[in-house]
Amino acid sequence: MECHAVQEKLSAYIEGDISSQERILVDEHLKSCVKCNGFLAELKKTISYIHNLEDIEPPAWMTQKIMAKIKAEARPEKGIWKKLFYPLHIKLPVEAVAVILIAITTVYIFKTIQPETKFAKVPSEKTSSQIFLEQRETSQRKQADKLTEIKEKGSKKGFEAEQPLSAGKSETADMETKQSKAPELFAKQDEAAPSAAVPTKGELKREALPAAPQPKVSEERKKDSIDFIVNVKDRETAGKEIAKAVRQLNGRITRTESLGGKDILTAEIDSRKLRDLIETIKFSGSVEEKEKVSEGREGVIEIRIEIVNEP
Amino acid sequence: MKENKHATDEDHELVSLCRRGDVDAFEVLVRKHQKRMLTIAFRMVGNYEDACEIIQDAFVSAYKNIKNFKEKASFATWLYTIVLNLSRNRLRQLNIGRNREAFSMDDPAPAGQSLSKRDPASDEPSILEKIEKKDVQQKVQGCINAMEGEFKEVIILRDVQGFSYDEISGMLKIPEGTIKSRLSRARNVLRECLKKVMGDL
Repeated sequence: MECHAVQEKLSAYIEGDISSQERILVDEHLKSCVKCNGFLAELKKTISYIHNLEDIEPPAWMTQKIMAKIKAEARPEKGIWKKLFYPLHIKLPVEAVAVILIAITTVYIFKTIQPETKFAKVPSEKTSSQIFLEQRETSQRKQADKLTEIKEKGSKKGFEAEQPLSAGKSETADMETKQSKAPELFAKQDEAAPSAAVPTKGELKREALPAAPQPKVSEERKKDSIDFIVNVKDRETAGKEIAKAVRQLNGRITRTESLGGKDILTAEIDSRKLRDLIETIKFSGSVEEKEKVSEGREGVIEIRIEIVNEP
Repeated sequence: MKENKHATDEDHELVSLCRRGDVDAFEVLVRKHQKRMLTIAFRMVGNYEDACEIIQDAFVSAYKNIKNFKEKASFATWLYTIVLNLSRNRLRQLNIGRNREAFSMDDPAPAGQSLSKRDPASDEPSILEKIEKKDVQQKVQGCINAMEGEFKEVIILRDVQGFSYDEISGMLKIPEGTIKSRLSRARNVLRECLKKVMGDL
């Protein structure tokens, strides 16, 4: 047997994992071969070195760290949440909840105050339009004043300064411009002239504005409601008195509105008590029935009382 | 070093508890097997930190796949197979070339420092003995690090861990004959490396 072949077998030879036939051959070779003996010794030493390698001690935190990972794995829902919001951790869910809450609160608040905004909207619109109109009135008046001033000055200038220049070619040109200017000024004055009439216009507008939502209201109310107009001295107190009267007669106030210049009170009341109500209201002011109250109606009817300041 | 029948049965009991969602049963398995797993991982990758990560990943993977574990096999062997696979992946990641660099006396072993810290002070040897022992350990590990992956595996499983050829064959999914011839060559490579490193055997 050659050294090379023997050396190949030595690994198995050491372990005893070799056929008896081969073992005899190897043993025989080793008796005579120093080189292979050396090889065998080295191999044995190598194996003993490896055997003597120590076990590696895991760090103290190892079990804990592994178990933390396992517990995270054991709760898959939590794992998914963690993965979803990993970069933000807990922030996003909290923010999302906050946003939803704010949205809900906003909607809720808006819904609860909506009738009040309706109530408040009309007068505020009125005041703003009033202010606007007033501003316009004053500015228009000022403009008118200015224009008349300018016109006067212009005409004076025209006569004073332009007359000497009226000689020559420029004269006709000037005249032309003057002529064209003059109607312009007049036109402007024409515009400014109704400034005295503007307040009345404004008033008309003011009345027209609050009147606008009225058709809407009448559309909303039932067709068979009975309308009154009550002319009173003081709308506020009269309104309270009428409301009180309605309640005293077991009526139910369904709506109160304040539209420019008048308060409208909508209520439901037993038809039998209607006469009594009208009598009571008469204490507050003169009552006008828009249409003749039909006596024949039974049960609860809707009434609509317009409280207007005495003219 | 072979697992006895009792230990295997105990593991199987714990495994079935784990399958029913008992996390504490898994902790028992972790405590029981982590040291040997870490040793295998460390001998494979030659780096303590990497080895620690590997066994953490191995346990998580084992927990996730515990349903796939076949009762007839040994749970320990199954765990070691996971460790071996993860170690191979890690070696591939770390670029095998780096680890295969010829071992040099001047180089400190990559895991030298961390290994020295964990050295248990067994039966109080003298400082010199300690240093010598540490030095030898480092050199042997250095030679293992320098070996080819497939040689490494058989050396670690057979000579470091003392598994039977049957067990190794099961773990590496290669026939016993291949293991034997591979082991013979691996020992030879290691012998030559150690001879170079130690000067003389």
